Amino acid sequence: MSATLIDGKAIAARIRAETRAEAEALAEAGWAPRLVSISVGDVAAAELYVRNQQRQADDAGIGYEARNYDATISLEQLEGVLAGLNADPRVNGIIIQRPLPAHIPVKALQKAVHPLKDVEGMHPSSIGNIVYNDLVLGPCTAVAAVDILKTLPLKMEGLDVCVIGHSEIVGKPIAFLMMGLGATVTVCHHMTRQVAVHSRSADAVFVAVGKPGLVRGEMLKPGAALIDIGINRVEGRTVGDADFTSCAEVAGWITPVPGGVGPVTVAVLMKNAAIATRMQMEHYRAAFAAAI
Amino acid sequence: MTAKIIDGKAFAADVRARVADQVTRLKAEHGITPGLAVVLVGEDPASQVYVRNKGKQTVEVGMESFEHKLEADTSEADLLALIDRLNADPAVHGILVQLPLPGHLDSDLVINSIDPAKDVDGFHISNVGLLGTGQKAMVPCTPLGCLMMLRDHHGSLSGLDAVVVGRSNIVGKPMAQLLLGDSCTVTIAHSRTRDLAEVCRRADILVAAVGRPEMIPGDWVKPGATVIDVGINRIERDGKNRLVGDVEFDGAAQVAGAITPVPGGVGPMTIACLLANTLTACCRANGLPEPEGLTA
Repeated sequence: MSATLIDGKAIAARIRAETRAEAEALAEAGWAPRLVSISVGDVAAAELYVRNQQRQADDAGIGYEARNYDATISLEQLEGVLAGLNADPRVNGIIIQRPLPAHIPVKALQKAVHPLKDVEGMHPSSIGNIVYNDLVLGPCTAVAAVDILKTLPLKMEGLDVCVIGHSEIVGKPIAFLMMGLGATVTVCHHMTRQVAVHSRSADAVFVAVGKPGLVRGEMLKPGAALIDIGINRVEGRTVGDADFTSCAEVAGWITPVPGGVGPVTVAVLMKNAAIATRMQMEHYRAAFAAAI
Repeated sequence: MTAKIIDGKAFAADVRARVADQVTRLKAEHGITPGLAVVLVGEDPASQVYVRNKGKQTVEVGMESFEHKLEADTSEADLLALIDRLNADPAVHGILVQLPLPGHLDSDLVINSIDPAKDVDGFHISNVGLLGTGQKAMVPCTPLGCLMMLRDHHGSLSGLDAVVVGRSNIVGKPMAQLLLGDSCTVTIAHSRTRDLAEVCRRADILVAAVGRPEMIPGDWVKPGATVIDVGINRIERDGKNRLVGDVEFDGAAQVAGAITPVPGGVGPMTIACLLANTLTACCRANGLPEPEGLTA
């Protein structure tokens, strides 16, 4: 193996430490950041995520409350719950856990979260801001993947980047974030004729498809950075979308799975909670300046 | 010359005819007349010409046109109040605020105060995000026009390599989203791109939207590619004023499979798509099926 292994856990710990300092400053100003997680129905499916978020929130100095609603709740009732949380000044960020029951469309809920409390970065206006090159609150996985790349000694301007997978929450926002940094971005997907043609000319490859072994070493340019966002279960093991062994022979840097993008994603969620809280504080002060 | 010339004027006339046809049906079957409100602040001569053309074409396809001309020193509060009224007016299905606005007005604030469902320019931040997440949005007119021409020429765009040169908010970025939506492999190139010639040569579909006269020479075009030239640049040549695109037309036409000329290519499509968007907004507002072939 010639590639340098990117330590996602260390990057995540650094982000959490920064977030903790910011959270403490906010708390001192009377604005201790607090998240509310909403899950619906089957608790087990989301439980792992919730527990993990709870632990990292503790470490980052962010308050965290997990709420679970019965599977029979209607969309209108949930929208009512969200309206309440949007109005509640003690709540600074709202997380909608997936999966949701079939009768609850996730996009409808994401739209119902107030953009200033959209810590998952999924509201259309959050995505719109990214497209317009103004990152405020971005989708956590995409921001995490880009933040990881930014830790490497690469100049983002003019960098040739290949994004494999054009999902709305990962691939596309990565493409726009990287474009905003001045990279030349190519987005590949299941209809792309020869992914290797594009990936081999890239200085950095992001892969987020959900297919183990999709990217092999011969598809990479020697020395390229490979950010693997896939999380797949294969024979009881967790693996990414890259064939790690062959890719590590060719790449200059590579993220492991697990221990790469995953931990950074949760850290970014906490960072977003602090960013959202500060925005709400500033918003409040601008509207009621006479009160302070 | 080998390339097929894509006649934007004829294509736009066809789009307008289809819009007019649907407007007639809306009136006859539902008693609804789509309405477009255009707001012009100040007396910028170019903007006055655009607004006049828009109003004229709106009426020609049978829609209602509402023109609001405000003084250059109109306050932000007055402009926002007008937009509020238009947002609430059921006869208005589309609202367009002619840009640029005078310097004392915050264009982002003004555009984002338009009801996204009536934002026929597709510039509201929610529409940008909806397009970015593959949801039903109002799509900016110029890239929508380019998409219509590409679909007409190619049928399916699926799997084609598309290169968009230029990453502007009003053309490059939405164009890239639309091409991804039609399953192209999309590269967005721009001023920081290292080897632009090489990137362009990979393109089955090359969309140029940078605003630099003839910056893309013919030998950057892959043989047989479709070239969509969004640039409109005024230059002086041989003592005469001329309009040229971002692509060096004569050279590109030797190698391309199809190409849009400047003028007479993408340009005429923009207002046609504005009318198509107004029709779409009207159908959505009334819970009617969207007009076929006129949306993204």
